Amino acid sequence: MLTVCHLYPDLLNLYGDRGNIIAFVRRCQWRGIPVRVREVGIGEPVDFGAVDFVFLGGGSDREQTLMAEDLLRRKDELQAAIEDGLVMLAICGGYQLLGRYYRTLQGETIPGLGLLDFYTRAGEKRLIGDIAVEAELGGRTVRLVGFENHAGQTFLGNIRPFGRVLAGYGNNGQDGTEGARYKNVFCSYLHGPILPKNTALTDYLIGRALARRGQDGILCPLDDTFEERACAVILRRLRLGR
Amino acid sequence: MRLRLCAATLAGKVAARLARLCGRRGSSLPGVVALRLYPGVLARLVSQVRTGVIIVTGTNGKTTTSNMIARMLASAGFRVINNREGANLITGVTAAFVRAADLFGRIHCDYAVLEVDEASFPRVAAQTNPRLVVVTNFFRDQLDRYGELDTTISFIRRTLAERPHISLVLNADDPLVAQLARYVRNTKFYGLAPRSAGAPRGATSREARFCPFCGHSLEYTGYHYSQLGIYQCTGCGFARPRPDVEAAAAAVAGQVMRSRVRWEEKVISVVLPTQGVYNLYNALAAFTTGMVLGIDPATAAASLGHYTPATGRLEGFLYRGKPVYLNLVKNPAGFNESLNLLFAGRGTGDVFIAINDNDADGHDISWLWDVDFEVLAGVKDKLSFVCSGKRGAEMAVRLKYAGVPPRKITVVDNLRAAIDCTLNGRGGAAYFLATYTALWPVEKLLRRRVTRTALENAADV
Ligand SMILES: [Zn+2]
Repeated sequence: MLTVCHLYPDLLNLYGDRGNIIAFVRRCQWRGIPVRVREVGIGEPVDFGAVDFVFLGGGSDREQTLMAEDLLRRKDELQAAIEDGLVMLAICGGYQLLGRYYRTLQGETIPGLGLLDFYTRAGEKRLIGDIAVEAELGGRTVRLVGFENHAGQTFLGNIRPFGRVLAGYGNNGQDGTEGARYKNVFCSYLHGPILPKNTALTDYLIGRALARRGQDGILCPLDDTFEERACAVILRRLRLGR
Repeated sequence: MRLRLCAATLAGKVAARLARLCGRRGSSLPGVVALRLYPGVLARLVSQVRTGVIIVTGTNGKTTTSNMIARMLASAGFRVINNREGANLITGVTAAFVRAADLFGRIHCDYAVLEVDEASFPRVAAQTNPRLVVVTNFFRDQLDRYGELDTTISFIRRTLAERPHISLVLNADDPLVAQLARYVRNTKFYGLAPRSAGAPRGATSREARFCPFCGHSLEYTGYHYSQLGIYQCTGCGFARPRPDVEAAAAAVAGQVMRSRVRWEEKVISVVLPTQGVYNLYNALAAFTTGMVLGIDPATAAASLGHYTPATGRLEGFLYRGKPVYLNLVKNPAGFNESLNLLFAGRGTGDVFIAINDNDADGHDISWLWDVDFEVLAGVKDKLSFVCSGKRGAEMAVRLKYAGVPPRKITVVDNLRAAIDCTLNGRGGAAYFLATYTALWPVEKLLRRRVTRTALENAADV
């Protein structure tokens, strides 16, 4: 039984990112892997040691502040689970929150959880559009596509990027990196949402979650015709099509 | 001054003719040209409206509501200017006046009924000095997903606070809308009666979780759809106001919907030749406006009964005896309502969904994941789903993950082929849903194959 932890679904339910939960759950179910979803709201208890996959999305400023306050209270527990190999996906605002701080245009510094070594600063121009990245997952190089829309520009410290930008902006539109990766924590700016179309990533996350529970993590293949077609539309548009 | 007005009007008219020659519908070009020549053109033309300007704003239902109001006023004997569907920015509004003016820049009308984009409301209100403003609802649009809705509403609030003499007609069931009453002197509310509020379907696309005044969470005892329902703040006294015009549960009979509407202790029967809770809300908004303007209730109800939908607002057609529906989808709340409509029509059917991501649709289509397609999972009587448009494949992915069996889903990139595939499906009805820029081509292609049903006659059934 895999347990998916959806953080703050009542706060962060407007960005299509719940598609990530849907994709993770469906691809387990289609393979007969038992899976359940635990929705965790502000102040509700959760044992990060007992869950297999945590999803953290982004919200508007108000929501972001509320969830930052709540997560700060759970920081030590979350950090221990991450060191223990907890599989986690953080998108956009959720990604930024895991870093050291966010600096606004006015120069104000909003502290992050400080779990990962990067910082974000607000840019003058919003980075919006289709994006394609190349990432290495378990020794395999895969292409991922999505839609990015962020004002924050993220700069990595002593941490590896999630992928390399093929087209689009990525972390900051300058250094060609996209997202961040530490152990089994994956951070990215890709909305779309990221998991339904990019099946290689979804399956990789499922595999890592199973492996952490001592199972072999080898998944039987599924028919991904629609998903591949949806990716191909964006790759062609970005002139990356074959 | 008069010379500039004439020149601007004339140039606008020439631009309108050119736009028509180039086959561009609903163009704002005449407005762009006229404003360029004479920035004061709108204020000058508006000042000639004899009785007053009515603005309809909000996220969904602007077009339908403003058309209903315009038609109601016309049937009561008034001369009315109306802007065209989608032309709801300041340029589109100006274009409507340029079209209505004669070559000397003169306008002869009693009312101007304008649908105005929420974000353009402050600017248009400043230039047109409206007497009455109708606000339908506030939902996050796909273009407006990063907290900008709050900013938009705060600008509307500020505009109203500066013009407290404006009369408001507000949706009582939407807390984001109802809050506006605090900023003006006269407000009439409309809403749906509590007992028709059902279980929260489409609960995932709810906007208003917090009180707009004190920030505490809102408590609901019933939902109509999305955040529309019977709410109360847990912190301060803010709660759903008692509506001045309230509709009891609507009964659907064939292609019409019947409802009993209460107004000043009178009950009037309204028959709408269209379906969906959101259309009932639009009709209530129009009816309430009619009452504020002193229209006879019977005339108002009759005019609603003869309403013909604008393109894409649940149009009805016939194809070889089979009912065919066309509906615009543009955000989660509207799409959920369209899905409810699929269920209102019992019996088998084939479903066509075209998703584009052009400028006018919004480039980001991740909002599709906020639509409750999961309700389609166990449904047996919808036989096929044909996905088309630029992002048809993405739509197919969404349906598949919602639990629709993949064998029922096909992706057909070519619109014409996709339409034929749907029309020739085995179902007893065909449902066409399309985003903004897919709507016109779909409508055009459909029109060649189908006949429009006599919905107006259906109203008398
Ligand atoms: Zn309150």
